[in-house]
Amino acid sequence: MGAFSLITDTERRVPRVVVVGLASCFGCQLQITNAEQYLMQILGQIDLQYWQLVTSEDMPDQYDVAIIEGAVTTRESEETCKAVRAKAAHVMAIGACATTAGVTGMAMPGLDGRIAEVYGDGLPDASGEFIAPRPVSAVIPVDSEVRCCPIDPLDFVAMLQRALFGSNRSLDTRTLCSDCKRNETECFYNSGTLCLGLVTRAGCGARCVNLGRPCNGCAGLSPDANLDAARAACDTYGVSRADFDKALEMFNQVNPVLAESGDE
Amino acid sequence: MRAAINVDHIARIEGHGNVHVVIEDNAVKTVQMEVVEPARLFESMVRGRSFTEVSYISSRICGICSASHTITDLLAIERIFGVQVTDRVNALRELLVYGSYLQNHGTHLFVLAAPDFLGQKSVFPVEQIAPELFDNALALKQLGNELCTAVGGRSIHPITAVVGGFTHEIGPSEYLAFAERMEAMLPFALETVDLFNSFPVPDMQSNGDVLAMYAPDKYAVCDSRIAKFIDADVAFDADDWTDYVEEYKVAHSGALFARVRSTGRPYMTSALARINLSWPLLCKQAKVAAAKAGLRPPERNPFRNNVAQAVELVDALERCIILCRRLAADEFEGASTPAKFEVRAGRGVGYTEAPRGVVLHELELDDDGRVVHASIVTPTSQNVAVIEDDMRQLAELLLAEGADEPAIKLEVEKLVRAYDPCLSCSVH
Repeated sequence: MGAFSLITDTERRVPRVVVVGLASCFGCQLQITNAEQYLMQILGQIDLQYWQLVTSEDMPDQYDVAIIEGAVTTRESEETCKAVRAKAAHVMAIGACATTAGVTGMAMPGLDGRIAEVYGDGLPDASGEFIAPRPVSAVIPVDSEVRCCPIDPLDFVAMLQRALFGSNRSLDTRTLCSDCKRNETECFYNSGTLCLGLVTRAGCGARCVNLGRPCNGCAGLSPDANLDAARAACDTYGVSRADFDKALEMFNQVNPVLAESGDE
Repeated sequence: MRAAINVDHIARIEGHGNVHVVIEDNAVKTVQMEVVEPARLFESMVRGRSFTEVSYISSRICGICSASHTITDLLAIERIFGVQVTDRVNALRELLVYGSYLQNHGTHLFVLAAPDFLGQKSVFPVEQIAPELFDNALALKQLGNELCTAVGGRSIHPITAVVGGFTHEIGPSEYLAFAERMEAMLPFALETVDLFNSFPVPDMQSNGDVLAMYAPDKYAVCDSRIAKFIDADVAFDADDWTDYVEEYKVAHSGALFARVRSTGRPYMTSALARINLSWPLLCKQAKVAAAKAGLRPPERNPFRNNVAQAVELVDALERCIILCRRLAADEFEGASTPAKFEVRAGRGVGYTEAPRGVVLHELELDDDGRVVHASIVTPTSQNVAVIEDDMRQLAELLLAEGADEPAIKLEVEKLVRAYDPCLSCSVH
């Protein structure tokens, strides 16, 4: 992820920003509006040119930063990503769908059967040409990511600052367990309860665990994740390996690491 | 006039939709609302998943109605397992649903709908032209977000709501602080009713039926199982929904359409539908505000859904103030910690009134509590057919008045927005 700074551009213009939505629940776009108290300050730093959810301006020809929400599930979305990449100096993927294919990726195994299950004899024309769900980074290079389902509005603000002004700080790759240790929260495994914090990327502060629910892995697998060690830990604490692998599908279904390390 | 009015990716709605109106020889020839939202196939995704995961997955159908999808799923599962939750759990669920009403209606009215009536392309210029309105609008929306965060653990996609109860709860002083903030917000909500009532809208009556949750003694949003079609005059238990609602596929929509099975008519479900059915059961200030705005049943002008949502903002605040005070005083029986239950197989339908209307989740579980079959009906998928019907009527009305093409286009867009469609919800 290259830091980039439009501030140092010779043209010194206010960065022109577009927001694009693919297959999603629109929740991460809503989370941007949920940064209410900072919304006008953010808008003061950028030239917001297109955002279908919030304004009726048309998509412009030229822009500097593109924020993409949602998974790529159609040929049309794939083309949209490529067109955006050709124009934007910086592409930011926001939310689990855009960064890991998220819950949308769960439709991946046996896709055709699923379409028949929901729509009978085939998808309506309006649905476009369906392809296997994938994150934006599987189609085009992505410069920055805001993880989790949904994104935290303030995480988005921080990442946008990074995109606009640059940063030399390296991004977190730890697993969530390190957050729970710092929070001094009781580990779910002590009560034999499955939790995906063992292998999930940290950064959310362990929001779910702090509220009494195990991690569902919405930030996606950490690059440091040791899946074999995690499965061994499941054995130790009386948690089923099969359940662990099944739970991982929710936000990591299309991650190639899972396909390689399948337990069965 | 001869015209083809096309709006690709209608702005300021949740999801992707196009509108096509073809006019030939001064007559409306065809009207289409294309729902081009990519299919995500949720009903197939939850198959094989444990009941512990289902509400967590289906909440992702929709960012803004996530609380409704979560609770609807929990109700379906609890019906199968025979779980009885405490009064306190019911109160918390109601608070969470009303929190999402504040979020949804606040976002829709001010961020999505109001710019049309203020002659703006977005809400942002409102900061300059009406700073007080802008600040209050964002504060109201923020209050909804904070309430959902306090009860559900996060502004969208709740964490704490599980089968049988909640995994976490805030303390009495926090409930009281919310009650005070909501009291302080009431005057602005009342102004919002007046504001939206002051915006001129076309005079039309939808030909569709109306569907909403029915309870004899309460403006119910998540604690009745009975839905009622007003014109067809039929009430049914959510378990029997397929006997009364017919879903059907059309080529130009990724969302299945819906109609009343007995009459074949399209129908509306929304804040306006609820007010048509349960007007006498609104809270006091909400009812006075509605009466002052001339919003009384029967009110079938779909543009009046904006005023209906504003009335529900008042109603939601009044109800949440009482709920928060009673939760703080521990007046509801029982605890909120999840009830114990036994997993068993069966079929159950959960039903709530999402901010945009009726949402139904039908689930079949096996002996291990894994999903065998799921069927999900969202408010907007039910509304698309009546939106098309209303669009035709509106275009004909405007043609007869001699309106030009840009005027027809704008009014059609405003009509679609008045329904507050959630197309990402509708194509689940």
